[in-house]
Amino acid sequence: MSTTEAPPANGRHSMGQPMKRKEDARFIAGKGRYIDDIVLPNMLYLAIVHSDYPHAKITKIDKDAALKIPGVLAVITADDLAGVGLAWIPTFHGYDKQMVLAVGKVLYQYQEVAAVVATSRAAAADGVEAVVVEYEQLTPVVDPFTAKTDKTLVREDRENKTNHIYHWEVGKRAETDAAIAASDVKINERVYFQRCHPAPLEPCGCVADMNPATGTLTLYMTSQAPHAHRTVVSLVTGIPEDKIHVISPDIGGGFGNKVPVYAGYVCSAVASIVTGHPIKWIETRTENLTTTGFARDYTMDVEIGATKDGKVTALKVTTHADHGAFDAAADPTKYPAGMFGICTGSYDFPVAFTELDAYFTNKAPGGVAYRCSFRVTEASYAIERGMDLLANALGMDPADVRMKNFVRKDQFPYPSPLGFVYDSGDYHTTLQKALDKVGYKELRKEQAEKRARGELMGIGISTFTEVVGAGPSKHFDIMGIKMFDSAEIRIHPTGSGIVRAGTKSQGQGHETTWAQIVAEELGLDPQNLLVEEGDTDTAPYGLGTYASRSTPVAGAALAMAARRVREKARNIAAHVMEAPLDDVEWVDYKFQVKGVPSKTVTMKEIAFAAYTNPGPNEPGLEATYYYDPPNLTFPYGAYIAVVDVDKDTGETKVRRFLAIDDCGTVINPMIVEGQIHGGLTEGFAIAFMQEIAYDAEGNNLQPNFTEYLIPTSLESPHWETDSTCNPSPHHPIGAKGVGESPNVGSPAAFVNAVMDALSPLGIKNIDMPLTRSKVWSAIQEATKA
Amino acid sequence: MNLEWHGHEEVGTSKAQLWAFISDPKSVADCVPDLVEAVVEDATHFDAIVSVGVGPVRGKFKLKIELEPQSDGNRMNMKISGGGLGSTVDLLAGADLTDHGATTSLDWTGTATMRGKIASLAGRVIDAQAQRVITTTFANVKARCASSSA
Repeated sequence: MSTTEAPPANGRHSMGQPMKRKEDARFIAGKGRYIDDIVLPNMLYLAIVHSDYPHAKITKIDKDAALKIPGVLAVITADDLAGVGLAWIPTFHGYDKQMVLAVGKVLYQYQEVAAVVATSRAAAADGVEAVVVEYEQLTPVVDPFTAKTDKTLVREDRENKTNHIYHWEVGKRAETDAAIAASDVKINERVYFQRCHPAPLEPCGCVADMNPATGTLTLYMTSQAPHAHRTVVSLVTGIPEDKIHVISPDIGGGFGNKVPVYAGYVCSAVASIVTGHPIKWIETRTENLTTTGFARDYTMDVEIGATKDGKVTALKVTTHADHGAFDAAADPTKYPAGMFGICTGSYDFPVAFTELDAYFTNKAPGGVAYRCSFRVTEASYAIERGMDLLANALGMDPADVRMKNFVRKDQFPYPSPLGFVYDSGDYHTTLQKALDKVGYKELRKEQAEKRARGELMGIGISTFTEVVGAGPSKHFDIMGIKMFDSAEIRIHPTGSGIVRAGTKSQGQGHETTWAQIVAEELGLDPQNLLVEEGDTDTAPYGLGTYASRSTPVAGAALAMAARRVREKARNIAAHVMEAPLDDVEWVDYKFQVKGVPSKTVTMKEIAFAAYTNPGPNEPGLEATYYYDPPNLTFPYGAYIAVVDVDKDTGETKVRRFLAIDDCGTVINPMIVEGQIHGGLTEGFAIAFMQEIAYDAEGNNLQPNFTEYLIPTSLESPHWETDSTCNPSPHHPIGAKGVGESPNVGSPAAFVNAVMDALSPLGIKNIDMPLTRSKVWSAIQEATKA
Repeated sequence: MNLEWHGHEEVGTSKAQLWAFISDPKSVADCVPDLVEAVVEDATHFDAIVSVGVGPVRGKFKLKIELEPQSDGNRMNMKISGGGLGSTVDLLAGADLTDHGATTSLDWTGTATMRGKIASLAGRVIDAQAQRVITTTFANVKARCASSSA
């Protein structure tokens, strides 16, 4: 496998072409169909009453005033849901259960307490205001370190009377401890990846429509995983799966937030079943930020040992995870801490160990894979901050320390000390390309000159490795459902076709890239391949789109299904060209008789023959493939941030940011670039602006976009992008996935840059977000000392 | 959300006059800004309804207020608890009186715990707003005590 520039667009039929997104025509024209665009006859509206307090007994819920409001038809509480066995539902991986509406007490501020059903959205909102809930406040638990004392119990309902949820570990503890102790140089630093939120621009919502005549429950919902949701609904309600139809229409961003099941979905379904009316529930921004799946909230103690000349000897990461009120982290069932074992990153550690303890607190539940594979962003942040801290301790350049410790190209497939087998990579070449492109030596020279003048300039590097594409069914499942994915291709007589997959785009551009994969395999026009996802009655069963798994898994299924179509087409081609099957080969996107270049037939011609002249072959031209990947894929990148910090105000200006990504084979470079721009902007926001913080009383301090800031084009830096290409050796088209790499890799680059700028002041770490006030305070503290 | 404030007023009355003023629930109630209604229960307790307008949290709070005169006559504590609009407030205020003959120094402190919507939705502005309320209250004490003694 050779390292090359990004694959040239020339010479390929569809793959690698910067084709404009097919779906954008309708989005730009305002013709997208989102959940709130769905209006059904006789539809009712549902709104939710939320808790004001983080931890309190509910002493009374008074519905009377609400029920007197014109248009209000019902107020649903946990008691009502208990009557149909839905007061509690299982969490994502099935290890815990969660309240749909508060049962007896509230466990976090803004928790769902009751639901109001009304004839209009306004009446439902008025009903919410009129429901009187009386509370007896309890002491809240707002961090895992207080939680671990068990002085106040968050969950009395559980058999184990402790806030401790689980302990997880991987690697060799004793050998790692011994290696670190024996090392010439050691670093040990606590870094906190703050609680943040995916904050999709479209919040969650649904329309539940029970048809009393057919007994079919149709759920239009903002779902990143429609089939998984159908199965979960069937399991918890007892409704046969054939009587549940989940439709996920256009989605305005998901980023992991639209994977879990939320109270609004359940209450709407119950209300529709009871009333026989369609029920619409649409979240407000505050509801989305305060109740739906958060991300991160990992406190990580990073220890690295190294020799005097900078060769790493061991890594240990000890994590305290804040899971909120329920263990609802969206991780595969057998991986409670997700893929955190990727924390050795791009480096060849002889030995490593990591352990994690998760705790209940009086905060909203979650732990979703926010634009990353499960917990990979946290792991990448830990190791990339750790490598910079090590470089600082060694007095070495952080680029040199990385170069010295990268897994070498000839070590792939590389078995990491924490159990993953990295598929491919050439980390040295990718970082060198980044260093050359950014002008690293010149920047360091400029930095030295500025430091001499007392100015604060920083350069931050992050050379992350992701692990994505869950996953091989021998390891990965959600409540027993294996994490394969699927594709179905049907070619019409005129050579156009329909492509269906078990995934669900939320902005990733599947309607374009899926068509390009199939078109590349079949030599057809991608513009004439209709991609359809998100309808469980028509799409093949799949586990959905999250954790950067679509291209690694469903993308592979698409290629394999297309190859099945092509194989059948080859049989028809043999009939059409009157040649033995063994003499028919696929050359330059056409079937050709071996040795007779003039005797060819196109796929479009074969498609027509499949319905008009199939000969001895079964008519029609279609195939389905369920792909079970043999391994995960390991995209990686080298990111460099250049910042200037104003020591008088603490303001950081990101002067440059270069992202070199290696995601293997590129399907559409324009979409890849767009994905990287979006992910970098999110990473920038996380590094400098965003935190779902709670005060000591358990109050959520970022319940809206006034407090939880979203960067606009005015704040966002200019992004420079480029790539290298080391295809995945086990993926049918060599693709690895890219949508989440920039969110995974960029926070550490930003923070490393700011810490590099502040290093002359002796400042080693400031936890994100690096707001002006935090940076200014750190500078004041350091200069005072 | 835990908040702390402190301040100082130089009141143009004798210590005895100031002590008498701040020991009277009705007088103290009248000094609370944005007061809608006050009902004195006894010599040390009164209920108050005040208008609240902090960020998006707008409406009325019902508060129970207890005066706690210290036996030496040099310090008055005040406990305020209550809330509304999905919010609760617990506030402890204290004022130390120092006699300067014709004038009296009034050094006050306040600590408050805010819970619920007011802390969540209005956290960024609550500190300044609450400080305005408590500062105004003691400024009113100064002004009204002086005028009632004139």
